[in-house]
Amino acid sequence: MTMARTITEGEYRLAHEALSMAIQAGAAKARVTLTKNVTDLVGTRDGAIDKVTHSLDRSLSLALFVDGRFGTFSTNRLESVALQEFVASAIAMTRTLVPDSARDLPSPERTARGACDYGLYDPAVENLTEDERIRIALGAVLKREGLEAKVVSEEAEYSDSTTETLTIDSQGLDCREKETSFEMGCEITVEDEGGNKFSAYWWDASPRLDRLDSTTCASKAYQRAVDQIGPRPMASVKTNLVVDSECASKLLTPILTALSGYSLQQHNSFLLDSLGKKVFGDNVTLLDRPHEFGRSGSRMCDSEGVRTEDADIIRDGVISRYFINTYISRKTGLSPTIEDASRPVLVPTGGCKTLSDLLSLTGEGILVTGFNGGNSNSSTGDFSYGVDGFLFRDGRIVHPVREVLITGNFLTLWNNLAATADDARPCMSKVIPSLAFRDVDFSA
Amino acid sequence: MTGEKRYYLDTFSVSEDDLRRLIAEAVRSGGDYADLFFENTSYGNLVLRDGEVTSGGAHVDYGCGIRVLKGEKTGYAYSESTSMAELLGAAKAAGAIASAPGCAGPVNIQTATKSYPGSPNPAADRYPSVEDWRRVSPAELVPFLNRLQKEISSRDSRIVKIMAMLSWQVTDVMMFNSASELKYDTRPMGTVSASVIFRQGDKIENKAVSRSWRKGPSMLSGDLVREMADDVVKGIDERFEARRPKGGRMPVVMGAGASGILLHEAMGHAFEADFNRKGQSVFSGRMGQRICPEGIYIIDDATIPGCRGSLNFDDEGVPGQKTYMVEDGILTSYLHDRISARYFGVSPTGNGRRESFRYHPIPRMRATYMESGSVTPEDIISSVREGIYVDEFSNGQVKIGEGDFTFYVKSGRLIENGRLTMPVKDINIIGNGPEALGDIRLVGNDLIVDDSAWTCGKEQNVPVSCGIPTVLIGGLTVGGE
Repeated sequence: MTMARTITEGEYRLAHEALSMAIQAGAAKARVTLTKNVTDLVGTRDGAIDKVTHSLDRSLSLALFVDGRFGTFSTNRLESVALQEFVASAIAMTRTLVPDSARDLPSPERTARGACDYGLYDPAVENLTEDERIRIALGAVLKREGLEAKVVSEEAEYSDSTTETLTIDSQGLDCREKETSFEMGCEITVEDEGGNKFSAYWWDASPRLDRLDSTTCASKAYQRAVDQIGPRPMASVKTNLVVDSECASKLLTPILTALSGYSLQQHNSFLLDSLGKKVFGDNVTLLDRPHEFGRSGSRMCDSEGVRTEDADIIRDGVISRYFINTYISRKTGLSPTIEDASRPVLVPTGGCKTLSDLLSLTGEGILVTGFNGGNSNSSTGDFSYGVDGFLFRDGRIVHPVREVLITGNFLTLWNNLAATADDARPCMSKVIPSLAFRDVDFSA
Repeated sequence: MTGEKRYYLDTFSVSEDDLRRLIAEAVRSGGDYADLFFENTSYGNLVLRDGEVTSGGAHVDYGCGIRVLKGEKTGYAYSESTSMAELLGAAKAAGAIASAPGCAGPVNIQTATKSYPGSPNPAADRYPSVEDWRRVSPAELVPFLNRLQKEISSRDSRIVKIMAMLSWQVTDVMMFNSASELKYDTRPMGTVSASVIFRQGDKIENKAVSRSWRKGPSMLSGDLVREMADDVVKGIDERFEARRPKGGRMPVVMGAGASGILLHEAMGHAFEADFNRKGQSVFSGRMGQRICPEGIYIIDDATIPGCRGSLNFDDEGVPGQKTYMVEDGILTSYLHDRISARYFGVSPTGNGRRESFRYHPIPRMRATYMESGSVTPEDIISSVREGIYVDEFSNGQVKIGEGDFTFYVKSGRLIENGRLTMPVKDINIIGNGPEALGDIRLVGNDLIVDDSAWTCGKEQNVPVSCGIPTVLIGGLTVGGE
């Protein structure tokens, strides 16, 4: 049985019926979010088809405001009778909670209206056949002729998905966004002459099929695996850290988390009381750019239906924005904003274009190309991560290193940002180029 | 009613004839094996924030996943409806793997038809639950969180915020396969967590505790309240005093209990048979070889009553069991699902698990631990001249091919001249699995299986447990300044 890839008229009506059911059953206000996703995936292993999957998900979520109380509920049982029972029990459960006067829908002036096209939906997905998906997957297989290293294992996946989200509320919000995503990922394991294994992964993704670079993932993964052969131990040292754009966002995400209203309201943030203050160096400017045509992360509204907008998050080292949703705003008295960053963009600094330029500018240190575990303390900003990468001198890679850790504090680290490249990967929703930091502690 | 075949067939609105028809459709294009995984999950949670239980919710997930195997290749599709029309559509989509280009021809398959006594539902009940979370009103559960909040706040004047959550989940599963095995099970899970923020002068610190079991609401006792309150304030003085150690390679004493994350990351994943079947694991080809010193036994166990990692059946219908991976230091078993068991010519070990009906099963751990040795923890610590003792963790990771693993330490202490000294916190530790296992110097007599809410995230999230006695490892790399 073939089902539509996007929300049908019947499903649209069902969402409105669920909203009506909630109001009729006693909710003073309610929000309904209907999400529909269709994903097809073809996996290969060592050059042959290994896995074919097809999935269709529909989920209906309810945010209920009942007698001053608040609850969130979801179900994928969308038959009318089952939905009616679900809504009734959701109302009953909400009534068991303690009233919270801070809970409310966002004011209608702040919510999105109408439809916007950010170029995130590619109708090509509608005509893709299983044979074409298999052709794309097999076309991405590693060409083995003339390779210098023994390939132990090659696993790859091609997938395409369509996701449509409808958000409506009892104050008239009606926001509908759909997008496609075409993705290719490949993991290669190679073996050196001593039988030691080295693995690496490379991927690409795009909202548009014609912009997906599926055919070079395997060769890039292979090269990244081969590059790791022959790691040498290093001594613990304080030196420069360069992080490539593939994994640089790992060092930015904790800052965004620390700026979220929930972290701040719970005093669980190392950026508490920092709004409007200069916390980082002049060279740190982070913007939110949610309306870039055809770019991952662009969106019309957040999960509350609040419309997105261009904004400064950090400008010249000064914290310009906390992410405050309606609830946290009413709890804290802070002005409401979008609830989280849509498409954060770190503005390049230092004049380098490429990673190679950045290594030359930095001179010597450790180039990190991947993280292996680690975490950070959300209250203090202290962090410690396992890293994979290379020792470099005079701007050139010398040899791979292994069993290495970086340890520090995010406030110190970002104050030691020396320069960046201008090579952020377009497939990522966080637009972060390769980064160079001074004076980082490496343990080995 | 649960535990009876009729209950499960009614829950999913299918008959046994329907199950057979779906399997027939799934293998129509030439598949060698097919199975059905029906799931009905009810999830609920209550959240206490700023002193009151002001939010909560309930969530329902329902559907059926259909898998078709052709040799080692997998076709998978699922439906969120159990109407026959949609299930037949999913069966057909999954069965398409058999006609995909590059598929090998039919193979002689030994489907896992090992006979278990008492078939079709023979496993011991590892999570007996007289009360079903689904039958309890949330209003009856709210007072537990209030008691927990009150108990925690009474323990330390430096507490500025408490967030506590109670979540519960009950999952009905029914499985049927082309070997006509029908299995069904109802799996409970209850989890309590508390996250506390402390302020001392201008310093802020956080601490979190959790407990999770496959139990019903009777787990919510006064003892649990007191135990969690004790744990969340324990060591907070040291947390404020703690500093980063000087980093580098040093002996590491892993405290009993949560240090089982070492086994999970350093070897458990590398013993999952899919990685070995594909030749990716650092332990590939080492079956029957010595990988640890003599006297060490490492187990992955689905049979501990009420344990978060326990299962009556895995998600392929294979009974949960206790699997010795290492016996007296020798690697004796990988962790198998049906595909890898078939590949290696052994019986499946009951490790075929999945996050939900949306995923096909793969080999996963359950409760992974090391048996006790004979040395007291005090003697282990006093044997170290200069090193580090660690006992609280948040997360870990491993690179399967290289064997390099890491885990993040929330708290510990330096060891100087055999004594615990300066508190340390927020450091990552990195090592290599085969090297670390071979470098286990002493094993304590104090095994603890940790009851925290551990979740393993290999492609899909599944609940697990881990445990270990106090253990000394000769050298690991410790993050620091």
